[in-house]
Amino acid sequence: MTTRARPRRGDPALGTIAVVALGLYVLFILVPVIMSAWKSLTDENPLLAQSRFVGIANYTEMTHDSALAASLTFTLILAAAVTLVANAAGIGFATLLNKTSLSFRVMRTVAFLPQVLSGVIVAFVWRYLLAQDGILNHVLLSLGIIGQPVTWLGTPHLAMFSVGLVAAWVLTGFTTVVHLAALQSIPVELYQAAMVDGAGRWKRFRHITFPMLAPGTTISVTISLITMLKLYDIIAVLTSGGPADSTQSTALYIIQLAFTDDRYGYASAVAMLLLVVSAGIALTVTSLLRRREVEL
Amino acid sequence: MTASTEPRTAAQRPAVTATAVPASVPRRGLRAWATKGHLVAAGLITLAFVSPIYLTLVNAFKSQDQIISNPAAPPAPPTLRNLTDALSRPDRIIEIGLSNSALTVVASVLLIIPLGSAFSFWLSRRSARFRGIVLGGFAAGLMIPPAVVLLPTIRILTFLHLDHTYPGLILANVGGGYLSFAVFVYSGFLRSIPAEIIEAATVDGAGSLRIWWKIVMPLLRPATATVAIFLSLWIWNDFMNPQFILGPLKGQTITTGIYLSVGQYSTNYAQLFGVMLLAAVIPVAGYLALQKQFIAGLTSGASK
Repeated sequence: MTTRARPRRGDPALGTIAVVALGLYVLFILVPVIMSAWKSLTDENPLLAQSRFVGIANYTEMTHDSALAASLTFTLILAAAVTLVANAAGIGFATLLNKTSLSFRVMRTVAFLPQVLSGVIVAFVWRYLLAQDGILNHVLLSLGIIGQPVTWLGTPHLAMFSVGLVAAWVLTGFTTVVHLAALQSIPVELYQAAMVDGAGRWKRFRHITFPMLAPGTTISVTISLITMLKLYDIIAVLTSGGPADSTQSTALYIIQLAFTDDRYGYASAVAMLLLVVSAGIALTVTSLLRRREVEL
Repeated sequence: MTASTEPRTAAQRPAVTATAVPASVPRRGLRAWATKGHLVAAGLITLAFVSPIYLTLVNAFKSQDQIISNPAAPPAPPTLRNLTDALSRPDRIIEIGLSNSALTVVASVLLIIPLGSAFSFWLSRRSARFRGIVLGGFAAGLMIPPAVVLLPTIRILTFLHLDHTYPGLILANVGGGYLSFAVFVYSGFLRSIPAEIIEAATVDGAGSLRIWWKIVMPLLRPATATVAIFLSLWIWNDFMNPQFILGPLKGQTITTGIYLSVGQYSTNYAQLFGVMLLAAVIPVAGYLALQKQFIAGLTSGASK
């Protein structure tokens, strides 16, 4: 290197890239949020020539929008239930697969597969499994568990359950792998010492495995919740929000308002609500779980 | 846990082993059975768990009659008919979808990697306070449900005359939550690189861009692997962005393509599984080939 190339303060080249990256963040995250906030105060509609400022009218409308209440309730219950089920299943599955022999390594590899597939593919395959003449009914009928085929996707309550089942199936691939990694970071000495003390299987799980899994659980639960609050593709393909809007998540409702009903202003207001709810849940849960890690 | 960390005296240990000895003979047989039982249980549960994938695989090679008479049976005799049918459709949905998805993934990832790593390197040399604020902003970018920013994003792209185009889709990918993910991974990894290494290069007189490319990028290779693998998978599997940003007229990615084409197969399961297998084969092959990097990237945060 020649002396001319000695370090300059505030080297512009790297700074330029930084400005581009920050600019893209501002353009595609920050500006859209601000635009949504602004549009939520208007009655914008592509069919109208002009949009008017309507103040908080969209927000007052939200308070007596029963479709919104139903979609928000569905989204929150789905997120909570699927997060709980997928993480409990993931901890159980990871404990079961936490061995190093070849057969267990193969099982661990395939356990993650649902996560690799697109939600569109997953939902199409499950739509076949859950069909009236599908495999699930076939199996349950031949085992005598049900007397006649169940319409898994045809009635509101069963369709809600089915969406949860498919989402939990996909997420369990993820929670299993995260908890497997956390399990492998637990020192073997802890178990040896506990066995010397005469601790049984359950005690060892309860007092060593479960608390030592906490950092993995924090990440796994947080990402599960965020994924569920965002969930779109699985529902769009599996039920398209039906029957009778019973499985319409808030994300689907926003898209219906914006692209089918052409109500940009109101869609923006609902989007702001989903944003606040998601942020509130993500922050609360993360800080609660972090505190739990310290206490354990 | 408190008991396990207590120091024990040398005298206590043999006593424990001594009492354990008489019981160990019948126990050994029991343990072998328990191990076998564990393997069988794990195998059965894993099989049940992946049965939807197994069914997709076997039924892609079976005729409609074979599927209906016994969906779970292996393909005997196997047929390639479903796959050749899917690949010889007049609308060429699989070929077009695969090439459009590949183009979108490659362009997006090739832009996000240098942008994300150079930005994170620049950020690592700023004050802790500024870094905290910026990373907080990017963390929020990761959590925002895409449905919230979708409509304004399309308006911005329309303003830039990039709506319903591949450059528009790629730009939205690069600027949205995917860049936030890259910045997060790179920033976390940069914290583990000793500052002396980079300082030494600075003293030698290299410019910051040169340091980034020659010194930081090689050090960041594991992080780049994580970013490349996960962004490729997510962008490949993305459905909402191509569906609305690209729209139905500008060709299809693999996800929107199968969404549009499969409706007509609702009762033709043989065709359905053929299409599904072809659509799934690239991400699954990629995962099986790069399994170690996949799991390492996924769990680097969990096992800390």
